[in-house]
Amino acid sequence: MSINLGYFIRESVVNFRRNWVLSLGAVITIYLSLLLVGVSLATSVVVTNIVKSVEEKVSIQIFIKDGANSSDVTSLQNAVAKDDLVKSVRYISKEEALRIFKEQTMKESPEIVEQLEDNPLPASLDVELKDPRNVEQMVVKIKANPDFLKVCDRPDKPEESLKYSEQTVKKLFALTNIVRVVLAAFIGMLAVVSLIFINNAIRLAIYARRKEIGIMRLVGAGNWFIRTPFLLEGVIQSLIGAALAIATLGVVRAALMPRIGEALPFLPMSVNTTASLQISAVLVVSGVLIGLVGAAFALRRYLKV
Amino acid sequence: MVIGRGRETGANGRGFCYHYASGTALPVPADESRACPRPPSGSFLEVMPRMIHMRNVSKYYVEDKPALVDVDVEIQSGEFVFIVGHSGSGKSTLIRLLLRELLPTTGEIVIAGQDVIRMKSWKVPYLRRNIGCVFQDFKLLPNKTAYENIAFALEVIGKSRHVIRTQVPEVLRLVGLEDKIDSYPDELSGGEQQRVSIARAFVNRPPLLLADEPTGNLDPQTSLGIMKLLERINKTGTTVLIATHDREMVDTMRQRVIALEGGRMIRDQDRGVYGYVD
Repeated sequence: MSINLGYFIRESVVNFRRNWVLSLGAVITIYLSLLLVGVSLATSVVVTNIVKSVEEKVSIQIFIKDGANSSDVTSLQNAVAKDDLVKSVRYISKEEALRIFKEQTMKESPEIVEQLEDNPLPASLDVELKDPRNVEQMVVKIKANPDFLKVCDRPDKPEESLKYSEQTVKKLFALTNIVRVVLAAFIGMLAVVSLIFINNAIRLAIYARRKEIGIMRLVGAGNWFIRTPFLLEGVIQSLIGAALAIATLGVVRAALMPRIGEALPFLPMSVNTTASLQISAVLVVSGVLIGLVGAAFALRRYLKV
Repeated sequence: MVIGRGRETGANGRGFCYHYASGTALPVPADESRACPRPPSGSFLEVMPRMIHMRNVSKYYVEDKPALVDVDVEIQSGEFVFIVGHSGSGKSTLIRLLLRELLPTTGEIVIAGQDVIRMKSWKVPYLRRNIGCVFQDFKLLPNKTAYENIAFALEVIGKSRHVIRTQVPEVLRLVGLEDKIDSYPDELSGGEQQRVSIARAFVNRPPLLLADEPTGNLDPQTSLGIMKLLERINKTGTTVLIATHDREMVDTMRQRVIALEGGRMIRDQDRGVYGYVD
């Protein structure tokens, strides 16, 4: 077996050298396809991170009118806190709200803060949810609470007393779904192109060696003995492509990502090491699959036994 | 007398044969009956006296243009048989059927007890390891020396280096090319190249050797040498089947002759001659 393995590898390398232009073509297509696969996987990791961070910011704010009965507020807070959908409820007093506002605004436009004479901000309850997707359900529940009407700052229009960024989340989800579909379509097309290229490269390799193959058949070489070098060649081509793609992604991650992160500080743009290892593994596996399938197609069509 | 049917045999299996074309029986003196050497000892053929059995074999590449029609052939192990006929008479088709490069349209083919038609495709290589094969165009690899060409045939069926190192020089000696061991095909004459190709076909000691026009590219003198070599191989017990249209050769050798015409078997004759003008 050890002799055989050496033989197969030798044959594949010889083939690769003989048809290096076509092999290079196959390697480059696989490289580009896998690079795009890698980029889209990384993108989806980043997008997931962004969505998560936005989701974490999704909370329901219940504005409370000035002078509301504090026992009513407490009972509302307790009722909401008991709900299964809710992670936590925090009471923010008028003073605290002002302090937060000042902190946020001071840097950019201190004149606004200076012009504030009394405190225009209402007190509020900040409701954080376990799953941000349930935000609307929770809003309905809060509206149904009798204490809510008693304490909210706009009893005539209760919905105005609730603030939540439901629309933002919905749009973000829609966008990420579109991005995923488009990337998947791209990947699919590139996979087909790669398959065709591998198929062609292997076909030429078979053609270049048709005489040897004929003799091998005549003297009774096993079918797999004849096929294996070609399969191996396809796999080698895709592994080289995968290695190049992984290297490129690594360079991009090391050199480019920090700069993008600086340019967009409000979005978490990092891809952590675990994720990038997983992406590399996916690239290697899908590369090997593309190589095997492409070569197998060529063998089926051009190497009848 | 039915023309195109199988071989007529006398009581002892080889007493008479019939010239189908003329319809006259050619008696063969008993003392000259063909020697049938025993197969090499240890071979699986010792218990398998019938080497090739073809029955009602027809092959149509396209409809209503048959390459072979209702061919019946029985060849015992150790025989030396010519298949003669014009170009397009079906000789090569017959060889390719025996190698299972083709499947017949109808009929049955059994080689050394193995049903070639029902054989699983993964078993075909093992069938071919038992069939040596020689062609008109030698089919040698130009970038390999005589030694390497023969070694290649052993290498790809997984023989060990030790076997290769001992077998290859021996078979080259057998075909008389021990001094050309490191020559490339283009440094060899046609006859020498055919010897290398025979050495390659025989190095694995197959019980059956098929040759498709082995002397087609060679001058008469060289051809005779090749035939003598094939005859010597036959003497070791290997069944030899040669498709040829080399009239002089067939007439000189006085061996069994099966004649094909338009895909039909028209004659099967022991110690035969080419038989008709082409």
